Amino acid sequence: MTTAPPVTVIAIGNPYRRDDGAGGAVLSSLRERFGDDGRVRLVELDGESVRLVQAWEGSSTVWIVDAVRSGRPFGSFHEVDATRLADLDDTGARLGGGHLMGLGEAVELAATLDLLPPSLRVLGVEGESFDNGEGLSASTQQGVLTAADFLAAEVSAVLATLVGRDDPR
Amino acid sequence: MTHEHRARRFGVEALTRVEGEGGLIVEVHEGELVDVQLRIFEPPRFFEGFLVGREYTEPVDITARICGICPVAYQMSACHALEAVCGVEVDDALRELRHLLYCGEWIESHVLHIHLLHAPDFLGYPSGIAMAADHRPEVERGLRLKKLGNRIVEVVGGRAVHPVNVRVGGFYSAPSGSAMHELADELRWAVGAAVDIVRWVSTFPMPEHELPGDTALVSLRHPTEYPILGERLVSTSGLDIAADEYLDHFTEEHVEHSTALHGRMLAGGDYLVGPLARFVLNADRLSPRAAALAAEVGLTAAERNPFRSIIVRAVETVHACEVALSIVVGYSLPTRAATPVTPRAGVGCGWSEAPRGLLWHRYELDEVGRIVSARIVPPTSQNQPCIEHDLAHLIEHSLHLDDQALESLCEQAVRNYDPCISCATHFLDMRIVRS
Repeated sequence: MTTAPPVTVIAIGNPYRRDDGAGGAVLSSLRERFGDDGRVRLVELDGESVRLVQAWEGSSTVWIVDAVRSGRPFGSFHEVDATRLADLDDTGARLGGGHLMGLGEAVELAATLDLLPPSLRVLGVEGESFDNGEGLSASTQQGVLTAADFLAAEVSAVLATLVGRDDPR
Repeated sequence: MTHEHRARRFGVEALTRVEGEGGLIVEVHEGELVDVQLRIFEPPRFFEGFLVGREYTEPVDITARICGICPVAYQMSACHALEAVCGVEVDDALRELRHLLYCGEWIESHVLHIHLLHAPDFLGYPSGIAMAADHRPEVERGLRLKKLGNRIVEVVGGRAVHPVNVRVGGFYSAPSGSAMHELADELRWAVGAAVDIVRWVSTFPMPEHELPGDTALVSLRHPTEYPILGERLVSTSGLDIAADEYLDHFTEEHVEHSTALHGRMLAGGDYLVGPLARFVLNADRLSPRAAALAAEVGLTAAERNPFRSIIVRAVETVHACEVALSIVVGYSLPTRAATPVTPRAGVGCGWSEAPRGLLWHRYELDEVGRIVSARIVPPTSQNQPCIEHDLAHLIEHSLHLDDQALESLCEQAVRNYDPCISCATHFLDMRIVRS
């Protein structure tokens, strides 16, 4: 029986909707650093809630990376507990892309069915353009680099605590 | 309480979704229905332009991004159309793998729609999450089936979302025998679970309603199979055409309230694509177990109640599980993963049955295989006029209901047709404006 990796990072987004591809860009960066590490599962999804719940199955530490539109400076990034998604929204407006609506549902569904991981955090990169088309805006591209460095450090810190236990390598 | 002598306007505002956006506006004045508009904002128009100038190999991956729920449908229809241009026909072994991949998508799409989107309407819950608290075994069964559908898509398609292993001519690599055979045990469980779903949804209270009498039902048809990968298009009005004849019989029109084009039959009248149409026109092609279940729960080829499409989806899930099991059990590594394809100039059309209905593609290539033009007709745009007229028909007979009940009925009726629109409407607050 295969043991689930202790860490899962899930990117949500659509690279054909400009900055909506920010999550996938962060994941690409992480893949260079953790792609061969059996303790880290890297998944790219579209935001559908059931797929989200099933993608983190078995992991104790989970990050979701997505583009957001919350009224904060373009390219900035924000990290919150997934059960407090409203904290990402400074304006009261809907968050970008619709994915976080799916994530909110996923969290509720998981809570109802006792499928929430011990740690489920969201990293939101503030997007500038969600129009149809390819390529990130310059501000979001910069935000992706910063967010990827931050998340890599977080993943490394978690992995450091696993030495000698819970290590499927 | 009646509302016959006041104006009523209610609606569902738009919400962005990757796989489609929609809203619903209904206006009633002095007891008469004034207008019904289903507002859909879809991305295929962008993708059609985006594909021009690209290589013939690219639509398979790019169009998969149009819909997060049914990327395989876009991939299969694109393959069929591009292979028609290039004069390629894949062999039986590769076609079986495509059939299996598509079964995975049908399973995950249908069980998601049944359990989390539509069943709550019938059982009186505001959401699938609320329903899960009271119907945990049923929801867990649905999630397990959905996971299996994802796994099938992952094994054959390379990953569960936006598969990367599909190419014009077949696949980049064939799945290993061990990966395929590992699916068998779960598929054996799935057949029984899907049977239970049919019996479960057949107990739901069903609104008495029928499609307007002049609505034609349209579906693919195959000589021997239920038409996931059907060959010809047939209808209850007597149509029987090939893919390259589609534009001789169907057209799309712009309407002011939607960026999705409205599908029309050139001969006149609305038409319906999707599970109900498929079943009515292909009930004789279901697996024996699925056919027996359909009969057990009272589905016949005369079915016209769109609310009962939830039962049809469940029957189709049984069929998809049985077909998938049969393919998995009989699998041996094909001699090649893809049929060689040499591009050539020309025009080709292809189609397949997405979970929501017919999906038609047309591509024109130049002599080196660059795309000169692309056209995509998704099921949602084809069904849009039918949905609006069906809602009008339903509302006219339901004006005695209070606002809340009428709104709920309309939402439930929209969900009869399209999981993507259902996703959007499920998250929205209804509002009523009185004048």
